[in-house]
Amino acid sequence: MPDNWSFVAAAYGLAAIVFLGYWRRLGTKEREITALRADRGSHQPSRTAHPRPEAGSRAPLQ
Amino acid sequence: MVKVLGWLAVVGIAAGLTMGFAVAPREVTQGNVQRIMYLHVPAVWVAYLAFIVGFVASVVYLARRRDTADRLAHAACEVGTVFLGVNIATGAIWGKPTWGTWWTWDARLTSVAVVFVMFLAYLLLRQAVEDPERGARYAAVLGIVAALNIPLVHFSVYWWRTLHQPPSLLKPGTSAMPPSILAALLINFAALALLGAYFIARRARVLAAEAEALA
Repeated sequence: MPDNWSFVAAAYGLAAIVFLGYWRRLGTKEREITALRADRGSHQPSRTAHPRPEAGSRAPLQ
Repeated sequence: MVKVLGWLAVVGIAAGLTMGFAVAPREVTQGNVQRIMYLHVPAVWVAYLAFIVGFVASVVYLARRRDTADRLAHAACEVGTVFLGVNIATGAIWGKPTWGTWWTWDARLTSVAVVFVMFLAYLLLRQAVEDPERGARYAAVLGIVAALNIPLVHFSVYWWRTLHQPPSLLKPGTSAMPPSILAALLINFAALALLGAYFIARRARVLAAEAEALA
């Protein structure tokens, strides 16, 4: 029977593409979550940046 | 721990490729195309193991409602589906020069295709249900039902007349396989099992981080 090396290469090549693709997908997801966390962290409402005035000190609307 | 598993998998894959291409001899009947078996067979064993992990984790989730069990089930079923996809594709590539066809609707191929579609449905279900608790519950039930089909896949070659040959290793009695081919098969299985464990651990970690970030 002929050796059919092209079929062997196709099988191992396809498996390499699938496994590397899945590995990269996990990496992408990890980076997305890190970015989401960083984004949320930077948009947390700050207590010092915009202090709410005390209710009694607010000037009534003119 | 996850990183260590990843590096062990890389070393294992290097050893497996060496065994499959440099140590194991050219098979007399099939020629070198038989070397696809060092990928095709371990891939389905790892898929079976991943689905068994998914089955146990799903049962635990339904019994105790632990989020870690749900995440483990999700990760294991997803990784199992990847390995089963590799098994089906490499089987088709081996089948063309050996059987003269990429695909035939025999009992083994049909039953494995049914299991593959069931686990694809499992992953789609995860995406489709918006309520995470309800999605996890539905997925756990489907994961259990799908995993229960694995014995059907394994024994299909005994129960029906098929083109697919019966198992050479996972059967009662001793194997007639030459030791070098057996060693190549087992080392490749160990390598892919390490890769599967690495993927499951990493995917479960991603799912935990996702849940934490969206909470």
